[in-house]
Amino acid sequence: MIGEYSGFILAGLGGGAVVAALALGLVLTNRATGVINFAFGAMGMYVAFAYFQFRDNGDLILPVIFIPSRIHLLATPTLFTALLMAVLLSAVLGAATYWLVFRPLRRAPALASVVASLGLMLYLQEVVRLNFPTGSAATVVRMGVLPERPVRFLGTAVTANRLLLVVFVVLATVALTALFRYTKFGLQTRAAAGSQKGAMLVGISPDRIGLINSMIATVIAGIAVILIEPISGLDPITTSLLVLPALAAALLGGLSSFAIATCAGLGIGMLQSLILGYTVRPSTSWIPEWVPRTGLQQAVPVILVLIALVWRGDALPDRAYLVDKRLPSSPTPRHVTLWTILLVGATSVALLGFDAAYRQALIVTMVSALLALSIVVITGYVGQISLAQLAFAGVAGFTVINVANDGLPFPVAALVATLVATAVGVVVALPAARVRGMSLAIATLAMAVALEQLVLSSKGFSGGVAGRSAPRPVLFGVDFGISARGADNFRPIFGFLVLGVLTVSCLMVANLRRNRTGLRWLAVRSNERAAAAAGINVARSKIGAFAVSSCIAGLAGVLLAYSTSTLSTNSFMVIGALVALALTYLGGIASIGGALIAGLLAQAGLFTLLANGGTDGKAGTYVFAISGLGLIVMAIFAPDGITGAVRQGAQHLQRSLGIGAQPPQQTLLAGAGAGAGAGGGTGVGAAAGAGLGAGAGPGEGEPHHE
Amino acid sequence: MSEVVLQVRDLSVRYGGVLALSSVSFDVADGQIVGLIGPNGAGKTTCIDALSGFTTPSARNPSFSYISFLGRSIDRLSPQSRVRLGFARTFQSLELFDDLTVRDNLRVAAATPTWISTLTDALWPKRKVDAAVEEVLELLGLDRFAEDRPEHLSNGQRHLVAVGRALVGKPKLLLLDEPAAGLNPSETAELSKLLRSLPDRGVSVLLVDHDMSLVLGVCDQVHVLDFGSIIASGTPEQIRSDPLVISAYLGHGSSGVDEPAPGAGSES
Repeated sequence: MIGEYSGFILAGLGGGAVVAALALGLVLTNRATGVINFAFGAMGMYVAFAYFQFRDNGDLILPVIFIPSRIHLLATPTLFTALLMAVLLSAVLGAATYWLVFRPLRRAPALASVVASLGLMLYLQEVVRLNFPTGSAATVVRMGVLPERPVRFLGTAVTANRLLLVVFVVLATVALTALFRYTKFGLQTRAAAGSQKGAMLVGISPDRIGLINSMIATVIAGIAVILIEPISGLDPITTSLLVLPALAAALLGGLSSFAIATCAGLGIGMLQSLILGYTVRPSTSWIPEWVPRTGLQQAVPVILVLIALVWRGDALPDRAYLVDKRLPSSPTPRHVTLWTILLVGATSVALLGFDAAYRQALIVTMVSALLALSIVVITGYVGQISLAQLAFAGVAGFTVINVANDGLPFPVAALVATLVATAVGVVVALPAARVRGMSLAIATLAMAVALEQLVLSSKGFSGGVAGRSAPRPVLFGVDFGISARGADNFRPIFGFLVLGVLTVSCLMVANLRRNRTGLRWLAVRSNERAAAAAGINVARSKIGAFAVSSCIAGLAGVLLAYSTSTLSTNSFMVIGALVALALTYLGGIASIGGALIAGLLAQAGLFTLLANGGTDGKAGTYVFAISGLGLIVMAIFAPDGITGAVRQGAQHLQRSLGIGAQPPQQTLLAGAGAGAGAGGGTGVGAAAGAGLGAGAGPGEGEPHHE
Repeated sequence: MSEVVLQVRDLSVRYGGVLALSSVSFDVADGQIVGLIGPNGAGKTTCIDALSGFTTPSARNPSFSYISFLGRSIDRLSPQSRVRLGFARTFQSLELFDDLTVRDNLRVAAATPTWISTLTDALWPKRKVDAAVEEVLELLGLDRFAEDRPEHLSNGQRHLVAVGRALVGKPKLLLLDEPAAGLNPSETAELSKLLRSLPDRGVSVLLVDHDMSLVLGVCDQVHVLDFGSIIASGTPEQIRSDPLVISAYLGHGSSGVDEPAPGAGSES
């Protein structure tokens, strides 16, 4: 019996080894710097691309845009020089990412380092896509490092490179464990992880520690990805996403044990391979037809992670949990009526006046803004990093298509689909009651992967690769469908439907934010222990917020389903969820205005269309790379996003013009008073405000006092 | 004797191998201000954490009631359920909501949400004026700062916000964890005046502090904790003259039996 499967188990050693190597690197960087680097797989991926290029023709290609990236170093590269180059390159890359990205974020909230590492991942993926041409003429012959001949091992044939990879990972694990346990450097790292201030007081430089550990980690990742190439191939996106199972392994080791992380990584690889082997057998007909077999392979490890996370979690953080980290400021929405009239008016004029291409971009912008709004609610207001929002949208999108094709009329089908998404959101929220911060980001990511692999990829639900189409939405005999012939395509009436949904959603969110529900959300975000002491049921607050947020995401999914001729699973890939979170952060994650800006910035939205129009389509080439860089910069320097930056800029301008020249205490009161006058403010008959507030910033112009 | 609000029996808390609280028993009667004093690490905050549901007691005999509130066992209730029964607390480190204004810090604690309130909140653009919030703001003299964020207030004002947030839910029992930490003498005097007025408002108080002058000045009954156990109980007068207390808390051989308070008051 065992013999039947041992082949599959051993075949999984290769994949398991690379997962283990990345997990080792994650544990190492976490122990040294306290951050979890989502871009870790992408860093290894870039190093591997650079290695194979160099091995082929001696060219070193740097991860830069706009300036020439190709340097010809050697005429005849050998295996040795190429490996040496790869080690040096990954060490430099590790040092650079530590110094430029993660060192400034050491004391930032988990959200900032999640966003920065997502930015880094996006950037590296784009740089590789741009700088390593894949045309037929330029194709690089990837020369493997390890021998691939089969050997007998435990009575089964397995290729030598798989076994050697395992040897590499096990040696690295032993070396790291020994380094941490027996050397002064290891002791210093552990001391710096315990208390950076304390370490500095006894003469340890946390920067040197972080730098060296980051370099070691990147070298391990780079080598592992180079070695795995003949087994699993190399691709900018799928290789970058190897970080997910690696995170699973690292988490099982509590983000601190090298040995457990390695064992877990190898185990995950073998388990995936075993599932693959098991599910193709005829005797597995008991697995329901709708379950995608490859999905099961991807989903089982992440479900294991989820269980581990929830099991390790706790209902309330303990006394030592850090709460003093500054979160993006969430101003009370103000001048709501005014902004509603202005924005709805401008959008209506645009819908009627734009040509088809711009109407399409506008509709994309509004649907994306709706999705971003759902992220503002859950991540901005309640502080729960959710990477499952796009999956909620996908569930709603395919549900509306299915029930509408079964004959439910348009508004009922949309309602049903939104409620289904809400229900799924509540289920995803359950772990959030016990898991917080970075762990929650990973838990929701695991949920998103499980939903994508098991539900959204299911042929019975989504039509698989071919996708499915929604019937035209008709309400009271009026056709709201988006498509028409020629220049009439992307009909304005559909645009108005989307505008209506977006406006109502924004207004409801603004109301929630101004009422007690929103205050409770911010209280939970700010301090869970204090919130519980104030009588707030923290778990119920989070679940309620997840319900609201997944309901909004569901609406976005429904509108997306009606706005595309064929909806396919590709619209809801996990990478899209990461981009959505990143763009919302860029716009301003804790304000409604931020969601609207995120919509403008979305792919195929108004901003890319305008940028492409001005640059003959070239802007589209760099848009992801630039937004990746933008994310890193924003996470470090402007955690309040674009809306926050504009808000501060406006205050600055007012101050230099002498409008807000009162002493700080007075301007505080005055600003609040002005808000009350506009129908949305915080004031209950506070002082009549004259100074600030009256004209501050776009969106929600509450004065931001530092 | 008046009704017992809080009854604590045989309460123990263990952190790993350390017994932080060992078989502690005491009562708080209606309208009483009870003090809990002791040196650093004596288990004062652990006691408040256990009473308010933030720490799980180590002994858990299901048929025994370790903590009873208004005659009902609350051993198994979550922190927020205890708050809803009329149990409020403050934190030593205040733990104010820094993103919210002073008024909103109080509004958060003022009302119990229901499932339907999320829906009504979404549909209702205007907020109602909350009489309870305004009353507490006025009582504590915080109405002038109601729209400021806590980070812009003085330390004394921030302490008042913490007390206000606990009072706004109209609790029957208030647990104060070092409310005078970091306050100057005049602020401490203001605070003790406020504390003495609480029983008249129907609020009994359990006060944890190591400011002797405050505790001995306002409390009806004082318990002294040392190494997790109550080593002395009594009226402030009895505590002042208890030799065990003097050696454990005021330092050995102190002759200031009659006036231990002013010196200890500056400690924070």
